[in-house]
Amino acid sequence: MKTAVIALGTALALAALAACGSSGSGSTSASTLVVGEFNPFTGHDAAFGPEMVGGCIPAVRLINADKGVLGHQLSCVQEDTRGDPADAVPAAQKMMATETSLIGVLGPSSDEALATVPLLNTGHVPMFVDTGQAAFDHSSYGYFWRITPADDVKGYAMALWAHKAGYTRAAAVFGNDAGAQSDVPTLVSAFTRLGGTIVYNKPFALDQSSYRTEIEAILAAHPQVIFTEIDPQTAATFLSELQQLHGLVPVIGTEVTLQAPWLKAVTSAIGAGALAKYLQGMQPYAPPSGPAWQAFNSSLLASGSQVPKPGQWSTDPYSMTYYDAVNVMALAMLAAKSTDPKVFNADIEKVTEPGPGKTVVTTFAAGKTALDAGKQIQYVGAGGPIVFNHWHNSTFAFEVAKYLNGKTVLVGSVSAAQIAAISR
Amino acid sequence: VTASALLAAVGFGIVTASILAVAGVGFTLQFGVTNILNLAYGDIMTASAFVAYLVTSAGLSVWLALVAGAAFGSAFSVLLNRGLYTPFVRHGTRLFGMIIVTIAVSLILQNGLLAIFGANFFSLRMGRPTTVHIAGMVFTTVQLAIIGIAVAAMVLIHLLLRYTKLGKAMRATATDPELARNCGIATDRVIDITWALSGALCGLAGVILVMNVTAFTASTGAEFLIPIVAVAVLGGIGQPYGAMLGALVIGVASEVAATVFSPEYKDVVAFAILVIVLLARPQGILSEIATRKEVAA
Repeated sequence: MKTAVIALGTALALAALAACGSSGSGSTSASTLVVGEFNPFTGHDAAFGPEMVGGCIPAVRLINADKGVLGHQLSCVQEDTRGDPADAVPAAQKMMATETSLIGVLGPSSDEALATVPLLNTGHVPMFVDTGQAAFDHSSYGYFWRITPADDVKGYAMALWAHKAGYTRAAAVFGNDAGAQSDVPTLVSAFTRLGGTIVYNKPFALDQSSYRTEIEAILAAHPQVIFTEIDPQTAATFLSELQQLHGLVPVIGTEVTLQAPWLKAVTSAIGAGALAKYLQGMQPYAPPSGPAWQAFNSSLLASGSQVPKPGQWSTDPYSMTYYDAVNVMALAMLAAKSTDPKVFNADIEKVTEPGPGKTVVTTFAAGKTALDAGKQIQYVGAGGPIVFNHWHNSTFAFEVAKYLNGKTVLVGSVSAAQIAAISR
Repeated sequence: VTASALLAAVGFGIVTASILAVAGVGFTLQFGVTNILNLAYGDIMTASAFVAYLVTSAGLSVWLALVAGAAFGSAFSVLLNRGLYTPFVRHGTRLFGMIIVTIAVSLILQNGLLAIFGANFFSLRMGRPTTVHIAGMVFTTVQLAIIGIAVAAMVLIHLLLRYTKLGKAMRATATDPELARNCGIATDRVIDITWALSGALCGLAGVILVMNVTAFTASTGAEFLIPIVAVAVLGGIGQPYGAMLGALVIGVASEVAATVFSPEYKDVVAFAILVIVLLARPQGILSEIATRKEVAA
């Protein structure tokens, strides 16, 4: 009797464990291939995750509508890293252990990339990262793919734009945080190579009550333009004091200076008119036009409740490249005739790189048709052409925008080719 | 580095020192009399700044916002002490336990402000300042107003402590509360008034801080707490005159460091001075009280 009770208890416990193992939002049926959205959905960078959803869902919708990949439907599954390596590492381990049909991930972001890229690579998980860290400029990780620009590429873009505007003397006002400082070496080297001089370059301690002393030193060097990436509060204090004490000078900022919190803080500090007159910000440029973008945008806007307020991602370059990443993985699986990442990972480059005789496709459906017809393809996505270098980094264009009447307005652009030329 | 650049740095340091002095004197005065290291001080500054923000958003003058911020800081501090800190002290919570309580209050305040106002940047609505040249230095009218407010506050504090019965009672309570009570001083009332006074300085400091930095968030005051504590410790914790001197040293040293070395070294130099001074004088520059307090022990 006692043995029977123990056996029954053990059976119930095992049944309960099995039930626990198969529950939860992360798991999917075996026939569904999983794309992991491996990014912060909570925490200080919680805005990253929804941006990723705005790319993954539209791609998966179109792929599934076209009968999926090799008989499998695709699904986007959120894996919250909370923007913290301490949470991201167990999240990655859990994802790899429980998602048996995982074909790849979107992410990780800069918050958790250094800790999780080696793990994902060891687990043979293709990853389309959104980290901009320069540490991955020469990455040897075979499953690492980056189709958004590295942080240090911004330096090249800013230097090129300033040179085009005729500036020859510039001050570099960047925060003393690692993210901002990663822009500086390429900025200084490119601007100098283009014939310019960086007349002031000292890292700024952030969130001080005053920057008057720094302003005196900067103005003593007579810059024609200020390059910058500093946080909103620092920027508001610095620019308002500059305006009050001596008057503003033209400012070229990174994409941080085109983000809503920065614009709100600085508009309050110096006024909308001065902001429109003196500030130009640079951000990755994916023009919202062309057949690939139209397919992306139509699917995005038709995503219904799967993507809240989908219109906000229509012109978001990151959402566009996440959309492209899912398409690239799906086409690589078709090209390799396998859903095994260890097999199709090598085909990622084959379906994106240009080449003679290749058929250029801008949607998954067109790519599938071409591959079925035995053709070689080059996928050109919503974010533009994807050309990976030896380290699986792809170059990207930058747009220059200013903030006018509550909107960012395109002023000009720096092409991927220009950046590639100066970065050699 | 030119002499004029150094002179300008000293001038700019005076503005920073003015904000630090108002905040530091309030902080140290309250600690000196009550023996509670109130680490929610920076958040009360922020809350007061939000009160000022609401006042200016309603179209009222920034001067009225200063008064409203100081009044809020004062009232809130008294209520905080009466409603929360005093019961803990009566239950025998000692210094370390009280520090944890004040940290809890800090987190509640900061997250409460975040929940109410959101994770945005805010600015006081006030006219665009003009610039004034004084002795080779350039100030804005806002900065001159901040210096003026700080000087006026410091003079009033000096007069209060030195020449009034209340000031003497506060100094006596700060030096030895038991002896002061035995001498007939109503120490509970003195403590209430001290919270009110230090709270008013805290509120005032919060408003002038955000007048100076232009844009602020729910965590701006908390970010300013470390220099405030440094000013108080440098001057001798519990010693208002020491805090004034500490504010001047840290304010000017950080600006001169930015001129001579690099802006990165602002905090490095300021806090290196703090450490060196404390190695030579652990009780701070001026304090006699600090030797009696647990923090200096």
